[in-house]
Amino acid sequence: MKPIRRHRSDLLFFMIMGGLSSCFLLLIILMLAADLMFTSFDDFKAALLKPEIQAAFRLTLLSCSAATILALWVAVPLGYLLSRYQFFGRTVVDTLVDIPIVLPPLVLGLSLLILFHISIGGWELEDFLRNRVGFPVTYRWPAVVLAQFGVATAFAVRTMRVTFDQIDPRAEDVARTLGCSRGQAFLLIALPQAWRGILASATVAWARALGEFGPILVFAGATRMRTEVLSTTVFLELSVGELDAAVAVSLLMVAMAVVVLLLLRALGTGPSS
Amino acid sequence: MNRILIALVGSVICLVGAVFLLNRSDSHRPSAARNHSEPLVMFCAASNRAVMETIREEYEKEFGRTVQIQYGPSQTLLSSIEISGTGDLFLPADDSYIELGIQKSLVAEVLPIAKMHAVVAVLKNNPKSIKSLKDLDQKSVRFVQANPDSTAIGKVTKNVLAESGQWEQLEKATVGFRTTVADVANDIAIGAADAGIVYDAVLHSYPDLQAVELPELESAVSQVSIGIIKSTKQASSALHFARYVSARDRGLLHYSKHGFQVSKGDVWEDVPELSVFAGSMLRPAIEDTIAAFEKREGVQVSRVYNGCGILVAQMKAGQRPDAYFACDSEFMKQVPDIFPESTDVSKNELVILVKKGNPLHIKSLKDLGREGIRVGIGHEKQCAMGWITQNTLREGGLQQEIMPNVTVQTPSGDMLVNQMQTGSLDAAVAYLSNAAGATEFLDAIQIQGIECSVATQPFAIAVDSPHSQTASRLFKSICSSDSEANFIAEGFSWQLKASNAK
Repeated sequence: MKPIRRHRSDLLFFMIMGGLSSCFLLLIILMLAADLMFTSFDDFKAALLKPEIQAAFRLTLLSCSAATILALWVAVPLGYLLSRYQFFGRTVVDTLVDIPIVLPPLVLGLSLLILFHISIGGWELEDFLRNRVGFPVTYRWPAVVLAQFGVATAFAVRTMRVTFDQIDPRAEDVARTLGCSRGQAFLLIALPQAWRGILASATVAWARALGEFGPILVFAGATRMRTEVLSTTVFLELSVGELDAAVAVSLLMVAMAVVVLLLLRALGTGPSS
Repeated sequence: MNRILIALVGSVICLVGAVFLLNRSDSHRPSAARNHSEPLVMFCAASNRAVMETIREEYEKEFGRTVQIQYGPSQTLLSSIEISGTGDLFLPADDSYIELGIQKSLVAEVLPIAKMHAVVAVLKNNPKSIKSLKDLDQKSVRFVQANPDSTAIGKVTKNVLAESGQWEQLEKATVGFRTTVADVANDIAIGAADAGIVYDAVLHSYPDLQAVELPELESAVSQVSIGIIKSTKQASSALHFARYVSARDRGLLHYSKHGFQVSKGDVWEDVPELSVFAGSMLRPAIEDTIAAFEKREGVQVSRVYNGCGILVAQMKAGQRPDAYFACDSEFMKQVPDIFPESTDVSKNELVILVKKGNPLHIKSLKDLGREGIRVGIGHEKQCAMGWITQNTLREGGLQQEIMPNVTVQTPSGDMLVNQMQTGSLDAAVAYLSNAAGATEFLDAIQIQGIECSVATQPFAIAVDSPHSQTASRLFKSICSSDSEANFIAEGFSWQLKASNAK
């Protein structure tokens, strides 16, 4: 009798758990299905053939990738420091990292715009970059990358910190007793163990960068073929009543996200890990 | 260690590659800018994107100048202009943002483009049979509106309906307030709402929707205009594009096709030539302003300065200037068919000009009747000054006494001043402004007690001028504070009030 009862109990367990989980999955599937029903293959094809959408696709892909790499370069050391060391001002640093997550997206864009254009004793960052360095930022692709970087990094740092928290520091301590420096312990022991976390961090950062809209609109603008990324394309198409095109671009973003996320997952589960 | 190194080097290579590709696409922008050092930057409301992209493409093709257009919500764009201090042109969803821009000293010239009317949007064939405002207040009708605090259509609707006492009822009937007018139309298009108030022009891109015009919303109108950003470093280029957008045979054609009720607009010319007739006495007061206007706008203004009688005769003979700046309103009244409306800009006082130090001790008009005094006055049929002089003499009862001493009647006050300087006249009746440039040689004696000795100078734009918008911007320049200072320096008194200048 016992095994049968247990079997029934397990069945109930899986039904409840599966039922609750499927609510969310169903919602996602239904939304995608509704999008697919709203648009047609011809609309999708027409949207993809538009040169401005192709340019937005290219810019999105490149800027998200650049922002993700930059975010990882910052997130890995910062996550490690926050996880392993107690230092003066750690709580403040920890809080500061979360600000881009908490801030409304438009405020982040506005803050970046102000930062680059505020005049401090007649000196302005944007002016300096434009006239002295020859590398203007505002309303150009660097502004897109910077806006995406701002938010993506905050999420990446959070993920990296949790990753390092879950890795036992004893192995690094042992390595140090065997003559490794802190740097060597980090590079040879901690980093290889954090590989999956880095991939997860990259996934989160890339996904956040892809969906970023408000800061880009304010800081980089939405100039066709120049600073228009796919998220701004959706907004612009909606603004002029081109719902078909907006939905088509949204689906394109979903497809992009799925491909990139699957690629990163594949990397994470590959032999290297 | 090797794997970590590979990953690090790999990430550097990926980043450098991405930056290289991003930079390359940035430098491969349309080549039209090659003839010009800087592309024009325009901040444009997202709702105008479809029409503006067509206009931009045509403009770039025709003139080889790149126009970079940044689309977004109007308020966000205005904030960007304010913070970044960049950009050349601003085209918001409606004029309320232009007004804000002017208040914040961010926008200089404004060129009108089109009007938009508030209508009720419903699905094609009007399935809910909405025909009046009352029909919106039914349980079966899901009615949405744009936010009355943050959107222009919301504000206009609220203002109009609040005046007629119908706002409260409609507010109660509203199931949701949306942040943009496009959101309202989208709601109806996807079936989330049955009706909503939108601009008629918005419906052009929604083939599944139709407009229901309500008499209650007849006066709910918004204007779309393009503004030149004050801080622009390429004003004439910006104005060139703005003129193109607002030209009746260029940009406005596209606006009309997109469902906007377009303004009259100028006829397109690459470098328009504006013809202005102005009384001679006005030349010193307006010449600098017109020259500055020409430079900023990149247009040519051909000025014809002469006695107003002669100018009126020329117009009656068939000449059609775009604008007329008369020495006195009496001469404007003689060409009402060409200039039905005018605005008084300045006043000028008639004075007696005598040689420096007044050696003949002339103190009033009466003294001009003394024997042997050589008097010069304006020709009554050729210029306003002559006509006013005759009126003044008549009013003062001195016409019979003075006219025998009048040795010359000229078509303009400048000629009298010249003759005074050469010594061929002892006195002349002319405008105070005529003496402004000759104070070293002449003294001016005020004529007291005769009201009609003061002339009023009105400005008007020809009713059929093909450049009426350009002419109205010239008028705005003439109304500016710099121009006012010029008028006062030349002896005129300023008549224009701020409201008129607007």
